[in-house]
Amino acid sequence: MKDIIDCADNNPMPAAAAYRRPPEVVMRLARMGSFHQTRLSFMRSLLRRLKRENWRFKRNLWAIDQQGYGRAVYTVYGPERAYSLVAFSHHLPDEMRSDRVIATAWDATFTLLDGVPTEADLDRLELNVPKQEAGRISDSELSLSRANRSVRLWQHVIDRLAAGQQPEREQLESVGYLVRTTAVYGSGKFGAADRLTICERPELSGPFQAELLSVWLTRAFSIDLVEHIARARGGDQAVAIEPELRRRIGVGNSTGLGMAPFLVNHPALLNNWMMAREEAFARVRSLPRAETDAIEIFKQHFAGARFNVSQWHSEHPIQVEKLQALNADLEKMAAYIERESLREDHPWDRFYRWAEENLSLEGQEQLLSLMLEPYGDLVDDLTQCMDADEHVSFFIDGSMPLSRLREIVETQCPWALAVDYEQPENRARFWYTSAEKLEPRVGERFHEPGAEYELPLAIGCAIKQMHAALLAWEGGPTTAEFLLAHPEHRHTVRRVQNLAARPYAEIQDNLISADMLPIDILRCKLSFFGATKFDPRSDRWVRICMYQDAPFPHEWLEPAP
Amino acid sequence: MSYRLTLAETESYLRKAARASGLDWGIAEEAGKTARWLAAFDLPGPETMLSHLQNLAGRDYAEFIPDCDTDPWQASGGLLCPVITGAALADRAAIMLEGHPIKLGRTAYPLLLAATLGQAARHYRSVFVTCWAGVRVDCFENGLSIEGNRDSLLLAETDHVCCCHEEKSTPQQLPSTRAYAIDEAIFRRIDALAFKTYAPATEESRAGAGAGLTDND
Repeated sequence: MKDIIDCADNNPMPAAAAYRRPPEVVMRLARMGSFHQTRLSFMRSLLRRLKRENWRFKRNLWAIDQQGYGRAVYTVYGPERAYSLVAFSHHLPDEMRSDRVIATAWDATFTLLDGVPTEADLDRLELNVPKQEAGRISDSELSLSRANRSVRLWQHVIDRLAAGQQPEREQLESVGYLVRTTAVYGSGKFGAADRLTICERPELSGPFQAELLSVWLTRAFSIDLVEHIARARGGDQAVAIEPELRRRIGVGNSTGLGMAPFLVNHPALLNNWMMAREEAFARVRSLPRAETDAIEIFKQHFAGARFNVSQWHSEHPIQVEKLQALNADLEKMAAYIERESLREDHPWDRFYRWAEENLSLEGQEQLLSLMLEPYGDLVDDLTQCMDADEHVSFFIDGSMPLSRLREIVETQCPWALAVDYEQPENRARFWYTSAEKLEPRVGERFHEPGAEYELPLAIGCAIKQMHAALLAWEGGPTTAEFLLAHPEHRHTVRRVQNLAARPYAEIQDNLISADMLPIDILRCKLSFFGATKFDPRSDRWVRICMYQDAPFPHEWLEPAP
Repeated sequence: MSYRLTLAETESYLRKAARASGLDWGIAEEAGKTARWLAAFDLPGPETMLSHLQNLAGRDYAEFIPDCDTDPWQASGGLLCPVITGAALADRAAIMLEGHPIKLGRTAYPLLLAATLGQAARHYRSVFVTCWAGVRVDCFENGLSIEGNRDSLLLAETDHVCCCHEEKSTPQQLPSTRAYAIDEAIFRRIDALAFKTYAPATEESRAGAGAGLTDND
């Protein structure tokens, strides 16, 4: 497995280095909270691989009754291995339907099984998967997840199909999904196989590939299920959803604070995601010319993006404002494309530099995502650099001179040193794990009890404290000697040493300030997944759509015998 | 009754349990990694770490910290903590690589100490050896060998430990990635200790986490 991303090694264009945006520009929450999905997003790289390697698909089991309850198995077969989504559909009274991770019952529950399940596997899983966190899965399973129906769309689609009619396009597109997942657990959680079990398999070595495969198959299941129920109700009169309309249905997801600490707790991974993404942008910006067909592809995707933004609704004031800015940005971009025709020297770099001057962060990031679309040959290989072995970056180099440690802090962490953490607004929050639901939360330090349970996520503040201790240190010259006297800085030393080789490993903002928005962290991570339609429901809770417009397994893959 | 704890869970639970026992987060992370490393070789890392953490309860942690300027290293309280001493050893792995062995005085749970060097072995792609009471544990970049008296592996303490760097050879055992089988009653004790790092719920925490809107839409 790769340790540090080295884009130079597989970089066909060293000229790109000059166009890479530095960490102090990229690693800011306001910008990260404006990211859009790209060609490198994990959903898209997964589907490209399945196609490239001629994976096959089969719905191996459909044991669902007339009301829509029962179990089903969806299997994809690769060159070496097969994976199966095992789905259980349950009756759920309305009053129990909650998107909160703390819910205890769901409309449907799922696991991704390593291989093809036997009847005994299904019986074992049926005793555990519906319980989610309260059950246990095994080394044979790779994910655990659940979904609730979108009540507003679910009933409408069934009623229409049962009556022999298509769903209302507008209603279908405004919701965008039939079911909404909450947590999708993987990597050793609740008994599932450890990440090390799968990280050497090419198809699952990339980030979240098992989890996102399960979501892709969940989408297919959700549509099969409404069509099944509609047929049961409407008999011969019932119809299936037209393929083009079907594509407009994705899978929803509701995500809260539980996901936010992930990016902070996986600095090597965050670095590699960011570096790959930035390298991709830099490669395209470094191109001296844009060919006609590339411009055409860009324009098609630009038109698609405008349509998608028109379909993107939010009631939250933060996102309403951002969407207004994005809409205005798209208008300006359209005028720019018309005016400049992208025929001049280094057209993409010019376009981006114009965007920096004239567009909001939403628009700038949208433009960069769109600029990658014509250049799969140039950038898709970077997805190979987006995994990371966090265990490797764990080791502390005790022989590092303290002068060097100080140098890293002073050159790479001015963002941390510049903040006065004595000011209450600069340490107004604290991150902790809730005893009630075992989930991360953010508390108000000066208004709530519990700050003694603070998690080590106040990175900037910790770096500044470590720096002060280094300035006051009168002992030996090595990191080992400093850490023996100051074990309280061990976590921070680990992170700072890591920064030397991984410059994009830290979010360069104060994660405990009064104005920090957790949804910015969520949006960054979800954009890497490939999510769209970010719809914050508060400053710490967001709904998204996944796989909208993506092909379905039966369309994308040949049938398995 | 046996409970199957994944390696990721092993690391997470023991990290929190160590934190709840008064260790700083950075040292607690080492405790989690150490327990995980041993569990991957089907050795009782989680159980041994729990025993050690329980011994720390209510004690002044400073008395377990090594004085690295003496030979052998000694703790002011007379007994070295294998986690913080192991971290100090790993921090000085470069000294061992230069051919200088490090000797330790009275040490608690030496198996935990040996496992902490697993991180150094991985980083330097080399072999680090820990010997005590007739047993020798070799940590490889991705493997383990044990020679001598295996009964000494689980000693609660030992008077002398020697750590050094060794030439590369072939490990007897490679790590597993499968879940570790642990006695459920012991797991419950680890879980209870880890639970102490979680903040009790308040009205504010309940109100702040969700959307506060209906989900039936």
